Amino acid sequence: MIRNFFIYLAVLVVGILFFASMVLFVIPAFQESTVALVGLSSGSSGSGEEGNDKASIEVDISKLEKKLDSFTPTNAYMVVNTSDNHFFLYKGRKLIRDGICSTGKNEKLVSADRKYEHDFYTPFGVRKILRKSTNPVWKKPDWAFIEDGLPIPSANDPSRWETGTLGAYKLEIGDGYMIHGTIYKRRMGMSVTHGCIRLLDDDLEAVYKTMEVGSKVYIY
Amino acid sequence: MKENSSDGFDSLFVKKRSGTKYIILIILFSVLALTSIYTYLSVGSVRDRMKTAQDQAIGSPQINSSLFTQLKEKAWVESRLKMASGDSIGLSIDLEQHRIQLELKGVVLLSSKIRDASISGFFRKMDGNVYFTMFGTPLTIQQFKLSIPKNSFKIVEAPKDTIAALAAIDAAMKKDSLKDENVFWTVKLDRKFDLNIQGIDSISEAHNKYKFGKGFEFERNLKNITSSFQHILKFSKPSYTPEILISIPENEAKAILRALPRKAMVTIKI
Repeated sequence: MIRNFFIYLAVLVVGILFFASMVLFVIPAFQESTVALVGLSSGSSGSGEEGNDKASIEVDISKLEKKLDSFTPTNAYMVVNTSDNHFFLYKGRKLIRDGICSTGKNEKLVSADRKYEHDFYTPFGVRKILRKSTNPVWKKPDWAFIEDGLPIPSANDPSRWETGTLGAYKLEIGDGYMIHGTIYKRRMGMSVTHGCIRLLDDDLEAVYKTMEVGSKVYIY
Repeated sequence: MKENSSDGFDSLFVKKRSGTKYIILIILFSVLALTSIYTYLSVGSVRDRMKTAQDQAIGSPQINSSLFTQLKEKAWVESRLKMASGDSIGLSIDLEQHRIQLELKGVVLLSSKIRDASISGFFRKMDGNVYFTMFGTPLTIQQFKLSIPKNSFKIVEAPKDTIAALAAIDAAMKKDSLKDENVFWTVKLDRKFDLNIQGIDSISEAHNKYKFGKGFEFERNLKNITSSFQHILKFSKPSYTPEILISIPENEAKAILRALPRKAMVTIKI
């Protein structure tokens, strides 16, 4: 009785394995075979598209390609990859510099009393350089104090002003986001910022000197 | 008396054995029958999908088959131009040139060489009209299925004092930033086919990495088997979804995944 039970069980298991292998390997292969794939023709192809010949289509393609190319800025622009924390600086469509950077840490900071929340991320999309300045002074926002476990001072309290933290240059790209330097060199190449794009000193200088107000920054 | 009882016992045994044989045969026959039915239904589903594609192409302008290559190139550039007119990041895939690109307003943000690619036979059987109905304009992503989070966002409670803040900074510095992740994602496109992207660091990895149960593929296989049983029990046709599988370097697969909006546009040239 027990012996028979095991025989049935073994046969059943073999059967299930056979079926599974058919479903996973044989049937999909069969679906891709010519037996299943009859000619996929709409029955409406012919010698149509009057007036279209090879030469005129090629002219059209060339025009369209030029139009597509015209979207790429001819002056300086920057591309920032936030996944790899890497930036690329282009001028006249030519890559002139690339290197590591640091971008947003993708965190939501919540104060202990839950009254304060702030999202730290680098926004994707295209932005423009709005302002440039040298030797920037950082006016610390509320979150900088909350993150350090400090009480929030008044709006113009002297403790809000910090020099050196942003490096030698800053380029503003809107909504409080900036491209700037850092004193935390060990953390370069990591997603650690509050949303700004941090660069190393030499890279920052090159970016500052190359990018004009109005130059585009593409972030992904 | 003894002989008679012995004969009776043997005959009983033979009967039992033949009974076992019958049950085994019934099981095997059932499995074969189920498999045949499922194969038949599966082939039917492929043909249904092809019929749908053909029906969608009916009424579209006639394509001169001798100009197919040029018209395909034109459609590709036009499609990328349409994608460039939007404000979102889009994906362009050129399987002829083995290149996948992230584009924003016509600017190439990332360009990666496709290391390995495979497409369903469905796409190889398309004529010009079906091709342009399928790929003539940008496609839209309908749904993502991912092996890693798209944009992981952590909630952090503010430290109570400066000592806790310093401890938090120390902990963040000690974190291992090199996570070993299997990057595999699938998107369902609005013209009823799937685009699968897997992150690999070598070609051999492309063929082996996901085949033996490393999470995503295993889960997918398991779902296929269970849904197959369901279809057989209901005698219904399983759904056939043509697929494009692309293997690119892992960090680029991750970057593309994180950059693409939920309803991103995709242009494809096969």
